[in-house]
Amino acid sequence: MLVVQIKPEEEILPKISSKRLFIFECLGCQEIYFPAEDVEKFIDNLKEEIVGKASLDYLCNREFVKEYIERYSKQIKKAQILLVFSCGVGVQIVSSLLEDKIVYTCCDTLYLNGFQGLTVQEFNCDQCGECYLNYTGGICPIAQCPKHLLNGPCGGSQNGKCEVDPDIPCVWQQIVDRLAKLGRLDKLEELVTPRNWSVSLISEPPVKRFP
Amino acid sequence: MSLVDYTKFRLKPAEEIRGTFKQINRIFILSCAKCYKIFEEENEEEYTHLLDILGEDHKKIVGHAMIDFLCNNFLSEKRILNLDLSNCASVGVISCGLGVQFVAKLLEGKPVYTLADSVQQSGNSTTEIGYHGISLEEEKCAGCSQCYLNLTGGICPITNCAKGLLNGPCGGATDGKCEVNSSFDCAWVKIHERLKKRGEKFTLESVQIRDYSRPSLKLKSDLSLQNQTLRGEGFYGGLHPLEKKGKTADKKIESFPEPKIAVIFLSQHAGRRAEPSVRLGDKVKVGQKIGEADGFISSPIHSSISGKVISIEERIHPAFQRKDLAIIIENDGGNKFDPLIQPYKDFENLPKETLLEIIRERGIVGLGGAMFPTHVKLSPPKKIDTLIVNGCECEPYLNGDNRIMIQHPKEIFVGIRIIQGILGAERVFVAVEDNKLEAITTLNKFLDKSSSVEIVSLKTKYPQGAEKVLIKRILDREVPSKGLPLDVGVVVSNVGTVFAIYQAVVEGIPLFQRVITVSGENLARPGNYWVKIGTPFKDIIEYCFDKKGGGFLEEYELKMGGPIMGISQTSLDSSVIKGTTGFIVLRKPPVKVSEERDCIKCGRCVEVCPMQLYPLYYSLYGRKGEPGKAIKYNVEDCMECRCCESVCSSKISLLSFIKQEKEYACSSNKA
Amino acid sequence: MKTKSNLERVLEAEQFAVTGELGPPQSADPEVIRRKAKILKGNVDAFNVTDGQTAVVRMASWAACLIGKEEGLDPIVQMTCRDRNRIALQMDVLGIAALGINNMLCLTGDHQKFGNHPMAKGVYDVDSIQLVKMVKDMRDEKKFQCGDEMAVEPRLFIGAAANPFADPFEFRVVRLAKKVAAGADFIQTQIIYNVDKFAEWMKMVRDRGLHERVKILAGVAPIKSVGVAQYMKTRVPGMDVPDSIIARLQGVPKEQVSKEGIQLCIDIINQVREIEGVAGIHLMAIEWEEAVPEIVESAGLLPRPKFTP
Repeated sequence: MLVVQIKPEEEILPKISSKRLFIFECLGCQEIYFPAEDVEKFIDNLKEEIVGKASLDYLCNREFVKEYIERYSKQIKKAQILLVFSCGVGVQIVSSLLEDKIVYTCCDTLYLNGFQGLTVQEFNCDQCGECYLNYTGGICPIAQCPKHLLNGPCGGSQNGKCEVDPDIPCVWQQIVDRLAKLGRLDKLEELVTPRNWSVSLISEPPVKRFP
Repeated sequence: MSLVDYTKFRLKPAEEIRGTFKQINRIFILSCAKCYKIFEEENEEEYTHLLDILGEDHKKIVGHAMIDFLCNNFLSEKRILNLDLSNCASVGVISCGLGVQFVAKLLEGKPVYTLADSVQQSGNSTTEIGYHGISLEEEKCAGCSQCYLNLTGGICPITNCAKGLLNGPCGGATDGKCEVNSSFDCAWVKIHERLKKRGEKFTLESVQIRDYSRPSLKLKSDLSLQNQTLRGEGFYGGLHPLEKKGKTADKKIESFPEPKIAVIFLSQHAGRRAEPSVRLGDKVKVGQKIGEADGFISSPIHSSISGKVISIEERIHPAFQRKDLAIIIENDGGNKFDPLIQPYKDFENLPKETLLEIIRERGIVGLGGAMFPTHVKLSPPKKIDTLIVNGCECEPYLNGDNRIMIQHPKEIFVGIRIIQGILGAERVFVAVEDNKLEAITTLNKFLDKSSSVEIVSLKTKYPQGAEKVLIKRILDREVPSKGLPLDVGVVVSNVGTVFAIYQAVVEGIPLFQRVITVSGENLARPGNYWVKIGTPFKDIIEYCFDKKGGGFLEEYELKMGGPIMGISQTSLDSSVIKGTTGFIVLRKPPVKVSEERDCIKCGRCVEVCPMQLYPLYYSLYGRKGEPGKAIKYNVEDCMECRCCESVCSSKISLLSFIKQEKEYACSSNKA
Repeated sequence: MKTKSNLERVLEAEQFAVTGELGPPQSADPEVIRRKAKILKGNVDAFNVTDGQTAVVRMASWAACLIGKEEGLDPIVQMTCRDRNRIALQMDVLGIAALGINNMLCLTGDHQKFGNHPMAKGVYDVDSIQLVKMVKDMRDEKKFQCGDEMAVEPRLFIGAAANPFADPFEFRVVRLAKKVAAGADFIQTQIIYNVDKFAEWMKMVRDRGLHERVKILAGVAPIKSVGVAQYMKTRVPGMDVPDSIIARLQGVPKEQVSKEGIQLCIDIINQVREIEGVAGIHLMAIEWEEAVPEIVESAGLLPRPKFTP
């Protein structure tokens, strides 16, 4: 669901200088995006002692990680620091399974547009909890307008492009075009009331439906 | 194991749905079968609920379809366009926002209504969306692109603190609970405790302030685009495994030392097993026929060395992994050739029937691994207009075909002429993946520009070399379900086979040797070798590998073929057969995950299946013991490329279910 | 009269209104405001103070407004949604009204990416249209956005912006209509250099009868140099500077460009005045407030009407 970039060396190297390291590397999302070569280079350049390395896929799966930790328990015990190359979910899983170990991530995680379903798609959805697509001809302004505008384009929309980044289409231009095709431009006259952020942003703790 | 249900949408409130239905008359409902939840059965919960909400208004619904992974544009498009939507004035969609937006774009011009709200389980943050990983665990990540976990003991304050605080807790936590929502633990209390356990202190070296300009819109959209392009390049699905071809790509094909004992299996082709035509104690020469079967779909077997038949016994067959009959020959070192081996100098003037007979008699079968008798393939019952010579070699490590193209381009073009003559095909394509630049350049150099042969360079992606994929990719023709390439007027032949045809016809040599790549981990002599058929695996290990002696198979995995589709070997007494493309030695993974997990509908198998199948159903029905049901998901079209299995996030042995279900389908077809 | 706003009085009296813009300093220096306010005094009916224009940190609009008010002018506070959620917006509305400021212009705001703190988090909890509605409900219904009631309402003359030159062009009037429906009393437009396009837009405005429901002040500005004109043409989102304008400035000797820029502004004022439905002008002499008296005088807009409070 998430893709990563390697952190700048100067952020990591001082933290691990002359420590014994154990490395976790997650290859689960390789087919989506994983800077495998950068990771390899980063590891090769380390001057510290590496007592072991586990490459696995789906570091976000607690059960898998448990088995790996068991198998590598000796090396992990020897290590002073665990370095993790994975998205933020993987790092949190490793940290929670090895609470008394210092776990450092070498990656920054970013979220790609349109990545809720299978893999990266043309469309994006912020899962905002109150779908506006019925107003907008099926194109989402929340996820795709940098200002999340609900009542039409701002003054910066020009030649179909967004003022924030001219490489990006103005989603409101697309909405207007779509509604014109549908003959439903009247929809745009409706005054859309402020969004209810509480629907989307506070939730109950995760429901475990499959104990 | 407890997993979170991350279903991404729920029906909109009843009043809103009723409001929507007031505006419409004839509506077709599309519902997404959901993702990221345990996959137990197909279920139409939301649709049933919708009918409950609507009461009388449900009559406005003129049709309903449930679609798996509605957001998968490519597959869903086909399924939606197959639906009869002529009767409806609008379409209602029950899915997350991705599905709705996709349908709205696809059916532009028709009103599309969403009947669901997309929801997320964001964690406790009131400012950030938290995204889950592939697995259904509680931990979430906001993808903020400036990971703070190194400062906070591996607990994310951005998704777990209601205020997303980065420099310690606010004053509101009571008894370790968050002031905003007491059902959550205070993230900072947890962080504090975690740091204590680790013996770390929260470092106030610098006050953290967030950079909200990261990741930039540009980076995000670039990566998204790159990803979409990569996924859809050339053909739907597939994988981009690390190529690992470098080790042997530049190694010239060398002759592998003659085996002292050759173990020549009598099943080296699709079809009935050959019967031995020699007896114990017989002397044989190189290239002498030693086995033959009746029937059209069969192929004779030749001795690869000169010597004496010392036994005819059962050994573990490397492809079937069960015992099968083999002729054991002791090498006399004489290397005496069968006098029948004679070149056909004027092959250009031979009639088609004679050429086919030579190819049959010389034991030529498909060398890509399937070992289908070539003379059968070249006698199709339908008109063939196109020949595709397959030099893709899309499996990692392998370089045999690559080297043949580099070292024997002229012979390949002669082989092509022979086949073209037999088939009467007007056009010929030689398909090579773009990671084999040298081969492409060499072929182009020797290509007769006036011929109807065209070299096509294809973007590297596994399993490009699969026949159906290749045909679709190059000719944009779709081989029908359960059909063969000849159904669309195409014959696909491996480049190694084309070379073998050249040798059989022009040099008169039967198929008793082939090129294999020996590669993998910890090898002293990786390379590409001319190996005699029947060379025992033991010989190869001794020659190419550092470590000798017992215990090899405990520590290493030995695959005949490539690392993805190759067959794991259980005995070093097996030997090279005509279908052996390579010999890959891989260190066994130190941790074998003990058991497969439940399918969580992550959809990745669907995303990578080049045949556009829905492999998750094969595991669902396989596990339930209902193999018959897989037939409606076209299990017979599976070509066992293992893409699905290799990305499965729950480590399900999809292929074993698929094989069972294919067998079931096959036997029920017969019945 | 909805408010004590001088601008409202001028417009109600059907006088051709003049508002001016005052750019606040990137410092805590009140003298900058006083100096600029003195220049504007007597030449405009009310003055705007921008609110973190182009997302650069400057003195708060309400604070600069208050200083200008002390100089005897009628301030229009600008309020963007970029930096405040609905809670902060409503608190500021209450405070602004309590300080005796009578006008407020509701804006979405320039994206933080363009300013000097591109790393900042944009808020955009509500948009400008929702803000207009929120302020109107506070004033006319005495209700907060959540529905709670208040004892003393903020009596503000509510403004909004309109950009006739952004895309999609056809939608621009719809958006204006939404602002009017949401409760805007007056509109200040983007700076006009393409008078033809503005006239076309005004026709669409009149076709919907919007000019009768809201007072439209046409945005105008003098250009100091050819470079500025080119910058506005290419770099400022939502600006339409026709080539003919640049050619006109290039056509005079360098030392006379600024004079020509002022004359150009006067010409545009004279042209837009003739368009039916234009109730006044909004003069944005950004960092060039000194030009205002000359422009207003030459355009024949003096003296400004006076009302006894």
